[in-house]
Amino acid sequence: MSKHSGFRGGWLLASAAFALSILPVPRALAEDAGNLYNTLVDIRLGERYFERQCGRCHGFDATGNDEAGGPDLTGRLTRASTDVAIFNVIRDGIPGTAMLPVPENVPDPQVWQLVAYLDSLRYDPESVVLAGDADSGSDLFWSGSDCADCHMVSGRGSRFGPDLSRIGENRAPDDLLADMINPQEDVAPRWWRLRVTGPDGVTREGYRMNEDSFSVRIMDDDENLWSFHKDDLQSYERIEESTMPSYAQTLSESELDDLVAYLFSLRREEI
Amino acid sequence: MKRLSLLLAILLPSAFVQAQEQQFQTVITPAFTPITWERLANAGDEPENWLMYSGTLDSQRHSLLDQINTENVSEMEMKWAYQIPVIDRAETVPLVVDGIMFITEAPSNVTAVDARTGGVYWRYDHDLPEDLRICCGRNNRGVAILGETLFMSTLDAHLVAIDARTGNLLWSTEVAPYASGYSKTAAPLIVKDLVVTGIAGGEFGIRGFIDAYDPETGELVWRTYTIPGPGEFGNDTWSGDSWATGGSATWITGSYDAELNQIYWGTGNPGPDWNGDVRLGDNLYSDSVLALNGDTGEIEWHFQFTPHDVHDYDAIQIPILADIEVGGEMRETMLWANRNGFFYTLDRATGEFLYGDTFATVTWASGLDAIGRPIRVPGMAPTYEGVMVSPPIVGATNWYSPAFNPDTGLFYVTTFDGEQEFFKRDEDYEEGERYTGGGGRYTQPMDAFHSSIRAIDPTTVDIVWEFPIMPRSSAGITTTAGGLLFSGSADGFFFALDAESGEELWNVSLSRRVHAAPMTYEVDGEQFVTIASGNVVFTFGLRD
Ligand code: HEC
Ligand code: HEC
Repeated sequence: MSKHSGFRGGWLLASAAFALSILPVPRALAEDAGNLYNTLVDIRLGERYFERQCGRCHGFDATGNDEAGGPDLTGRLTRASTDVAIFNVIRDGIPGTAMLPVPENVPDPQVWQLVAYLDSLRYDPESVVLAGDADSGSDLFWSGSDCADCHMVSGRGSRFGPDLSRIGENRAPDDLLADMINPQEDVAPRWWRLRVTGPDGVTREGYRMNEDSFSVRIMDDDENLWSFHKDDLQSYERIEESTMPSYAQTLSESELDDLVAYLFSLRREEI
Repeated sequence: MKRLSLLLAILLPSAFVQAQEQQFQTVITPAFTPITWERLANAGDEPENWLMYSGTLDSQRHSLLDQINTENVSEMEMKWAYQIPVIDRAETVPLVVDGIMFITEAPSNVTAVDARTGGVYWRYDHDLPEDLRICCGRNNRGVAILGETLFMSTLDAHLVAIDARTGNLLWSTEVAPYASGYSKTAAPLIVKDLVVTGIAGGEFGIRGFIDAYDPETGELVWRTYTIPGPGEFGNDTWSGDSWATGGSATWITGSYDAELNQIYWGTGNPGPDWNGDVRLGDNLYSDSVLALNGDTGEIEWHFQFTPHDVHDYDAIQIPILADIEVGGEMRETMLWANRNGFFYTLDRATGEFLYGDTFATVTWASGLDAIGRPIRVPGMAPTYEGVMVSPPIVGATNWYSPAFNPDTGLFYVTTFDGEQEFFKRDEDYEEGERYTGGGGRYTQPMDAFHSSIRAIDPTTVDIVWEFPIMPRSSAGITTTAGGLLFSGSADGFFFALDAESGEELWNVSLSRRVHAAPMTYEVDGEQFVTIASGNVVFTFGLRD
């Protein structure tokens, strides 16, 4: 997840400790004792321990590490949804993966501090108050603007941008806003463009579906998938830019707020 | 010899051999004969075997086999694959001795297979405790062999001796207490009648060393610490008591020059890695190469690549020994592409710095001075807020083997041009806990970077050609008298290049990261090339 600074007023966010302190205790937690180690000091200590013991696999800032294979822990977790479950993942590890248990001599409070730190990177979406209106945002997304010309949500829309069906799980409202007003920041490699001239002398451009040491695959604007051996290419140009326009000028603040509210509501159904 | 044939008979019951013959019409694999020191010292003369981690004692990783060559390499096909039963990436470089291949597996196991088929003869499973202290995965890179015995490092910091014919454990020696942060991953090196071996744990505040053991008994013959103790030369290059927890691990295999009777071994980062405030001074002998006396282990000379390192630039590379012409004169040199981004040519008899230069993107130093010390760029030490530096923590290169091809006179190395933010943190040493004092963070996706195989002229440090691969590679290199260079990539390719020109001649997708170095051997007149990808060991040969 990227570090955007484009915070705009209107909704209440999620700056870690603050959000924690105002959150009502989530339902699942009411059933267990909850985390008794979640003061600001505990979060700091958890962060320190995380940087030291976990950062090499999950990234120094917990945003994941492609090479070590530790996933991003700042969005919604796949293995654990409650504090107790996160505690257990850390205490017991995940069998058959590189995720080993913390050493036995690490006392429980220290593990709880890790949980508190991980919690501080997330927040309860229910507690977030947004200025925009999700229904108006949905209308804008599907008809008032051109979002659906590129994006897909729940099987509807197009293939020229990321599927946004669950975008609310991993992007905070300020990230979503930044995505719309500053799309050129942190463009994922999957959405870079390649312009290549093949052995037939024809130059084609498209999204970089895949690139490895010896081949590339692109999807052109007619949704054709082309694959080339790098050896055969007469020219190769990589454009590390997004095709998404910035909506900073073309949409009003309240329209952007509505879109944020809509995008933020796009989540997997809670079970 | 009588005992040998008896054992062989047990290993290969004649009925089995006959069945094999009828079914596949193969010849019986050659008899396994003990590996004497003479055979090891002249390993290059029997290229059908791969007798040690780096092929030969000079670690050139250059094989004299030429049946597979630039003309026919495109006709290579897979001959067999051996699936390692443990799910973990393999870093193994197998040995081949008279038609038998020895493969090490994660966490600390070894399997003997038929080098023609991959069929398993035996497995040795090493019992491990559950609370291992390992920095970087459950790795093992290979065994050493002397006589009829294999020697292997284990993650619980033991050195074990295994009967090469049966896989039976002969002895197991605790090299250091694993609970204090010590572990072992590298293949040992046989030097005459000694098993020379290093230690890992540089991220746990250990005090590094190089050991020599008696191959018969497993008893320690000598230990040379890579950090001098109080009163010894160099101890004053560590402020306070920091020497006692200064790391300087020795987690890759060294080389040996029989004429000079010197063992060469690289040493790792000083600890804590990224916070140098607690260990002011040059921190000898971290990030150095040591030349040890082949009998006593005494340090005959040292050369420190990165004094007072704060970027984790281990000198954990394979020392390549080569005699090359320098300024019109033949010199006995050591060639070294370092994790810190500089390539060095040293006189290996004396450790004298002959010359050096960058071979990848470097921002932490602006060059090397007349004696080979880096000229530091101010403001490149890690900070609490983070500072962008090249090479990144993983280095311009790392532990993965380079190669030197005497035919082309070129040095080949897998390089990475990347950058990373380095952070500093304050940490107290606690026994058995990680002690690194910070970390690093990429600010771009890995696809923004790529690796290259670079062919370097060691007399000028000019890059003669380079071959880009994606994304960051951690594969080693082997060259052959067939004019070929073999290596792999992180996106799962295994490929052959023309060693002279760098032109790609053949590749195959094995789909999983290649995190090991290739090796080549011959059985019954047929040349094979082997590489581990993911946790599968693949062997290729020419189409029948
Ligand atoms: C050696 C690498 C490694 C280290 C060190 C490591 N992890 Fe993990 N961790 C992983 C991997 C890999 C996974 C994903 C396992 C899977 O689900 O396949 C994971 C998964 C997790 C998960 C579950 C993520 C989810 O989406 O549900 C949590 C929580 C976690 N780790 C926390 C930690 C903490 C806290 C530490 C430090 C005490 C730590 N990890 C240290 C590799 C590591
Ligand atoms: C011309 C095609 C195009 C249009 C139109 C477009 N987008 Fe995008 N969008 C992209 C692409 C490509 C990316 C991925 C690259 C990037 O990060 O910019 C993206 C990224 C995003 C992301 C971040 C997704 C993630 O996984 O991080 C969001 C949110 C988003 N768009 C929302 C919108 C909204 C809302 C609209 C309409 C107001 C819109 N987009 C219009 C192409 C488009």
